[in-house]
This record gives sequence, structure tokens and C-alpha cells, in this order.
Amino acid sequence: MDLLDAHLIPAVDGVAFGLLLFVVAAGLSLAFGTAGVLNLSHGTLYAIGAYTGAELSDGTWGGLALGLAAGTAAACVAGAGLSAATAPLARRGHLAQALLTFGLALIGGDLLIQLFGADELPVRVPEALDSSVMLLGHRYPAYRLCFIVMAVLLAAFGTWVLTRTRMGAAVRAAADDPQMLAATGRNPRAVHTGVLAAAGALAGAAGVLGAPIIGPGPGTSENVLMLSLVVVVLGGLRSLWATFFAAVAVGEVQTLGVSLVPDLAPYLLFAAMAAVLVLRSRFAEPATAHGPEGPAPDPVARLRGHLAGRLRRRPRGTPGTAEAAKASGTAEAPGTAGASGADRAAETAGTDRAGAAPRGYGNRVPKWIGRLPGGTAWRQAAPLLVLLVVLISLPALLDAYSISLAGSALALGLLAVSVTILTGYAGLPTLGQTAPFAVGAYATANLADAGWTVGPVQIVLSALAAAVFSAVVGPAVIRARGTTVLMITLAIGELTGAVVNQLKSVTGGADGLVGFPATRALWGGEGMLEESELYNYALVVAVVAVSVTLLVLRSPAGKLLTGTRGAEARMRASGHPVGRYLLVAHICAGALAGVGGSLMVTVQQYLSPADVGFEIAAFALLAVVIGGTTSVIGALLGAGLIVATRDWVAGSWPGHGPLLLGVLFVATVYVLPRGLAGLRGGNDGGNGRSSGAPAPEDRPPSAPAPNPAGKVSP
Amino acid sequence: MTPAPTAAAPAPPVLDLTRLTRRYGTLTAVDDVGLRLPAGARHAVIGPNGAGKTTLLNLIAGTDRPDHGTIALDGTDITRTPPARRSRLGIARSFQQPSVIAELSVLDNIVLAGWPHHPKRRGAWRSPSRYRLHTEAAGHRLETVGLADLAHRPAAALSHGQRRMLDLAAALAGDPRLLLLDEPAAGLTDDDIGRLLGILGGLSSSVAVILVEHHVEVVAQLASTVTVLTAGKVLVTGPTQEVLAHPEVREAYHGTGSTAGRAAGTAAPHQGAGTTDPSAAPARG
Repeated sequence: MDLLDAHLIPAVDGVAFGLLLFVVAAGLSLAFGTAGVLNLSHGTLYAIGAYTGAELSDGTWGGLALGLAAGTAAACVAGAGLSAATAPLARRGHLAQALLTFGLALIGGDLLIQLFGADELPVRVPEALDSSVMLLGHRYPAYRLCFIVMAVLLAAFGTWVLTRTRMGAAVRAAADDPQMLAATGRNPRAVHTGVLAAAGALAGAAGVLGAPIIGPGPGTSENVLMLSLVVVVLGGLRSLWATFFAAVAVGEVQTLGVSLVPDLAPYLLFAAMAAVLVLRSRFAEPATAHGPEGPAPDPVARLRGHLAGRLRRRPRGTPGTAEAAKASGTAEAPGTAGASGADRAAETAGTDRAGAAPRGYGNRVPKWIGRLPGGTAWRQAAPLLVLLVVLISLPALLDAYSISLAGSALALGLLAVSVTILTGYAGLPTLGQTAPFAVGAYATANLADAGWTVGPVQIVLSALAAAVFSAVVGPAVIRARGTTVLMITLAIGELTGAVVNQLKSVTGGADGLVGFPATRALWGGEGMLEESELYNYALVVAVVAVSVTLLVLRSPAGKLLTGTRGAEARMRASGHPVGRYLLVAHICAGALAGVGGSLMVTVQQYLSPADVGFEIAAFALLAVVIGGTTSVIGALLGAGLIVATRDWVAGSWPGHGPLLLGVLFVATVYVLPRGLAGLRGGNDGGNGRSSGAPAPEDRPPSAPAPNPAGKVSP
Repeated sequence: MTPAPTAAAPAPPVLDLTRLTRRYGTLTAVDDVGLRLPAGARHAVIGPNGAGKTTLLNLIAGTDRPDHGTIALDGTDITRTPPARRSRLGIARSFQQPSVIAELSVLDNIVLAGWPHHPKRRGAWRSPSRYRLHTEAAGHRLETVGLADLAHRPAAALSHGQRRMLDLAAALAGDPRLLLLDEPAAGLTDDDIGRLLGILGGLSSSVAVILVEHHVEVVAQLASTVTVLTAGKVLVTGPTQEVLAHPEVREAYHGTGSTAGRAAGTAAPHQGAGTTDPSAAPARG
């Protein structure tokens, strides 16, 4: 009885918290499930509501009502704006949309800070609610009880709309069969806009009402986004009830769990999520949904396909000369950016990232090596060699600060390459590679602290630690496909970040680690302190790591991954243990990220949680998209561009790094649909979005042969 | 439920399905289906759309799991065996929508399809010489389906008919003991169907084939026995000509109303013979 008594308050708090998360997550789930937008700015929509509500709150009922109306309306408008922004990307897949919304979240976060300041805003609830009521012998804030009631009403209303009205039926139809919906005379595009606006309104309303619980501040949007993503991942998009239970469970874990076992608090959410994901993968249906003969894995793919069909289809660029084929080199196939990982099953008919340029039919010389799309080894290696020469000469050209930035860029580049392996080759778009990156980074920092300062030892042990970590979380990742992977990996990365923040004895918590002994390049050497020394060390390690990666990807093993991504059902039916391939790829990519993390620590000589945070994960993914998802060199260049933007350009406009990066995200998504590698193809000038991956659903069964210039993707 | 007439051989049947059932919610897609196929059987499964034909193939291939019943291959129970393992045990399939790896060349498609079945599969991912052995085997395979000229073309560049052939070649690449074909003739031109019949007619007599097909001519030419499924249940199993002439089959398959079926009771066998005779049937597709 005592136990119950002591934990009653946290338990009720958990319900309130869970309901808040449910309302937010329902909007996220709605936007994703029916409009196909993985909205990483959903937390920002909440923050808009929360700021508006806090600003208008004056301790009266009128203020609350006004705040509710204004906050909901503002977030609703923002949601509709998101719909307009993402609609042109409909045929480019979820990855592009996720990056766009993340960029918008960065911009929005910066603007909110401009408008409302960087401090947490106080919220004044109506006086009648600003008191305590007695609850089984405990004093409990009346507002929270009132909030529970309001949230239940809101949830019930939403469920009613979705299941009992014609509008709700249209939304569910859009998720299920957009073509049929269009045939009944409703415009799926309008449904798309409506859904995003409604999702925004939900988030805004939750923000206003929830402001006294999760107040408006600089960290609000990320916090809310992370928790609601966890809810959506746990709830599994299948039903509102599942989302509801997941939300309450997460709320209870965050409140009751923390009060029950405070020592384990940081791991509880992680453990709960891991347990659910593992259990689900145990008892899940066998992979029927992945077969091309089955229904598409998520209805979103079909909605997207349909939307895509309504967009203008321009003929693809056809500069059909052999020279163009050569010039395209490692060039990217159009649209790999978004579609490559997403909805692989729906994509089996995807054509455009077509394989090798038809160079030399019957030319049997480089039978296995050159056959990888991308031309001969030389053609593929040339840009890398140029890059290498530039990198080697950097220390002679730059000042010390810039050299150390270049070293960080190399570390981030390795992280980006590991994301490329997963996103471009294995078809698992990931936002969670910062987790093994963090494992590698903290491993190296702790090794150095313990006196293990020899570079190669640090690298190998960090890679091992990261590989072990990836092996442990891998099973949860490789079961999923498409955007679900984005969400699961995002949750893994975020939760790892949360653990990093809490586990002070190993990670130094929010203060980070500093002052550990410098790394020695080899046994017997001196500790490296000079920037150019550190840079050269980083360069050597990066060159070795990238070379090994390229060799593996260019071996038949790379084809196994390509086959798995391109036609998983065929690979399974041919007897390939697809799951094992993906797990191995996940482990290897994790090890590579671990090497990157180790380099990051060595070069920076300090380590803070921000170095392995969500933003870094998004940067890595952006770097990959900038480069073109399957181009290793593109990933490296993208990483360089991001570090340059974040640390050089933003240096002249302090405090606005996120804004610049947000603009970079948005611009990349719109301007470089095929990434930097696409520029070299020479046929995407002004081709804009129409060069995106063809939606496989609306492709005629016998397509004309792609142009002989062959878009090539290594 | 009736065993195929040729199942008198002492060896266990290649495939033995007992009381196989698969439900999706309230819909029973495959309902208590039994089937025994001897080595070298040529068996067709026909039935109206939604009868559960593809689900049955998925259950045999392992991409779907039955709610009840067992599947045995060569007398070994494989009901719970994952699809990749079943493939290595000798079950190959083609897909209703041809499933090819668009990014890779036609040759590489076949190399990958044959890889897990090749005697020298280990280490092929890093040994160029071993991989070359695979490409040679794949090249021969392409000749048999008439795609050798396109070996280095990306699979994305193939026409629908060529994709079907590639899908079929990928299924054959592992030298299966049991071949599952899901509407191999769908969407093919008459020429392509001729080629398909040639390839399938030339299969080794040790390979058992299950053919799901709507083209009655193809069924009549290839299959010696037929099972008719309606609403997941076996309506009848028997020799092809008998089954195709069966009045109930015609009723179920061609969707003639029940009264019409009864009224046409005497006329049906005659009509049935007319449609099922490949020479008399008008070419479709």
C-alpha cells in the first residue's frame, strides 16, 4: 500500500504525460501513415502552439481559449505550408521529405528563438485551475487533471472524425487505395493537405494545452519529436489504440519508472523500446509484405505513387552519347536520393537507377570488377584520387583552425560513408548511425583516459565496440523497411544520446569529456598535439577505411546488397539469407561509424554530447543525400560542405548556424535532387524534381529502354 | 484432397501438402488444401481470381505461413522453414510480377540467383575466379532462355516479356526439384508464349512443376494434372482433360451462373472439349 501511495502521483503524471504524447504522436502518425510525410518538424509545430499559448496566457479562461484558438490555427497553417512544401517531393520518396522537414525544423527553431527569446517562457494557467485538488490523500495540480480530461476529449473527437465521418473515411481511403479514392471524385492532393493541416492542428492544440507540462523552450521541439517518434515506433502505425497504449506506456516509463528506479532512469525508455521491437520481430508475420506479389509494404507508397502520377512527367534527359556515359562516371541515377531505401518492395520495377552503362557488350576483361555500375575502376577512382591529392595538400594551404575543421570533416565523412552503405546499398535509410559513432567516440576517449593512447589500438577497439553495438541493435533495424527504418534508427540514435547525457561516469554527461591524453600515431611515438599532425593521422585512417569500404562494395558482396535492395523477394526466393546480409552490412557500417567517432575524438581532443547528437545524424544523412545516396565520394564531399557551412560560414554570423544549415537542407532537397554526383551526369540541369525516381506503380509494364547514356550508380 | 493418380511410386512425393489453411482475418484464402506431387509432375492450379492460387504458392515457397496443415518436401517437414532455406532445398519460383534486380545486368541477375545453389558458392563474394565460374554457369542459363544477347544489358532495360524470361531463368538457375510458376504467361505475346512453352517443355523430367495460370491453352499443353481452387478450397483434382471438361469446373472457373450451369448440364462436356482443345481454342494474349 505504501508503494502504491508513494507512486500514485507519478503514475497519474504519467497518464497526463502519456495523453499529451498521444495527441502529438497521433498527428505524427497521421501525417506519416496517410500523407506519407515523415515530419521531423512535428516537434516544431508543437513548439509553435506552446509558444503561442504561453504568450497569450494571462491567467484567465479567455486567455487560454484565445491561446488554444491561435496556437491551433498557427500550427494548422504551418502544417498546410508543410503540405505545400512536401508535395513537389512526393515522387522523391520519404528521405527527401524527411530532410526537408528537418531543415524546416532547424529554420523554425531559429525563428522561434528570434521571436520569443532563448529562455523558457512561463505559462500562466487560469486561476481556477492553478490550485491543487486532493487525490486519494495527495495534493495534485488541478490543471493536470483538467488536461487529462481535455486530452481524452480531443483524442475521442479525433477518433470519431477518423472512423465515423465521411472525411475520416476519405483519409483512411487515401491511406488504403488512393486510386480508388480519386476514382470516387476526391482529390488525393486535397486529402494530403488536409491531413497535414489536421496533424499540425493536433500538435498545436497539444502545444497550447501541454505547455504547462512540457513548456516552450529551445529544447522543446526536439524533445517532443523524439518522444512522439518513440511512441509511433512502439505503436507501430497499425491502430490508434496501439499508439494510445504506447503513448501511455512511454509516459509512465518517463514518470513512474523514473520514480521507481531512479538509477536506471536513463535506460528505461531504451530498454522498453528494445524489448518491444525485439518481441515484435519475434512474433511478427513472416515477411509477406515484402514480396512484389503482396500488397505494398505501406499504403503510403501507393498514395505517393498516385500523387506522382498526377505530377507532370517530363521525359527523362537523354543525352545519348557514349561520351556522356563516360562523363557520368560514378554519377548518380536520378532519384536515388529519396527512393532508394524507401519502399523497396514497391520499387522492384524501378528502373532509373539502372545499372552499368552498356559499355562493351561482350567485353569480358574486367568481368567482375568493372561490372559494378560506375564504369571501369579507373573512371570511378579518378575523382577519389583528385580528392585525395586535395586532402593531402590541405595542411599547406590552411590555417590551424581550418585544418582541425578539415579533420572533423573527415571523421564526419566516415560517418556519412557508413550511412551511404546502409542507405544506398542495403536500402536501410538511417538516422541512427550517430549511435555507433558515439560508441566509438566514447570508447576512444575512455581508452585514452585509461592510458591506451596508441592510435591503431584505439581505432580497432572503437570499431569493435561500435560493431558489437550495431550487432545488438541490428535485429530491430533490419526487420523494418523504408521509412520505418528512419524512425527506428532515429529513436535508437536519440535514446543513445539520452543515455550519453545521463551516464556521467563514462561520458561526462552534458559537460562532455576533455583533457584525456593525446593519441599517439604509432607505438612508441609522441602524443599528437599539432593540428596538421592530427589531420594527417585522420587522413591516413580515413583513406584506409574508405579504401576497404570501396573494395568490399565493389566486390560481389556489393552486388549481394544491391540485389537485396533491388529485389528482396527474388533474392530470398533464390536462397539468399537476406537478413544475414543486412545484419552484416549493419555491423560493418557500425564499425565504420565507430572509426569515424574515434577520429572525431582524436582530432577535436574533446567530446560533448552535441558531437553525437541528432543534428549530427541528420547532417550525415544530408551529406549522403547531397552526395547522392550511393556515392562514397559524394558522401565525403557532402560532409565537407556541411562542416564548412556550420563552422566557417556560420562563424561570420554567430548564433545562426542552425538557420544556415536549415537553409542548406531545404536548398539541397530542392536544387540537387540527385546530389552532387548528379551534377556530373550533365543531364539534370533544370530537370528539377521530374528527374526523381519514377514511381514504379504507374510505370507501364514494358517501358522503353532507358537511354543508352546509362545512368550509373556505383 | 484426391492424390494425383501417378502418386503410386514408392518414393515419398516431392511435395506433400496436408490440410493446408491460411486465413487473413475473416477471409480464408487457402482452405484445407491437400496435394501430393511425385517427382517430375506437371501440375496446374487454376481457379477464378481470388481463389487462393498465389497464396498457395506463397505457402509452398515459404513467404507466407499456414495457420494449419503441413508442407513436406521429399518427406521432410518444411512447414516452418524460412523461404531462403526452402530455396536451397530445391524449391524455386517465378513471380506474378517479374522480380528482377533492375540495377544489375541480366547476367548478374542470374549469377545472384544461382549463387546459393552453386557447388562453389563459398567465398565467391571475394574471389574473382570463383565468381567467374558463376558467371559462366549463368551465361549458359541465359542461352537456354534466349537472353544471351542481352547479358550485359541492365535488367531495367528489358521489356516485359524479357523480364518474365529473366525471372524464369532466375528461378531455374538453382536447378530446382520443385518449380513454382505464378502466371508465367500473363502479359506475354504469342511469340513469347511459344518460347515459354518451349523452355518449360524442355525441363528435365526430374523437376516437378506447379503452374498457376489463366491461359487454358498453356495449362492444357504443359500440365498433366490439374487442381481447381475456388474460394480457397479444392474443387477437383485430376487429369487435365477430364478436369477441364468437368461441368462444375466450367461453372466455377468461367463464372457461369449456377442455373445456366445446371441447364447446360448435357451440353457442358461438349463445350468443355471445345475450349480445352488447344488446337481449337482461339489464341489469347
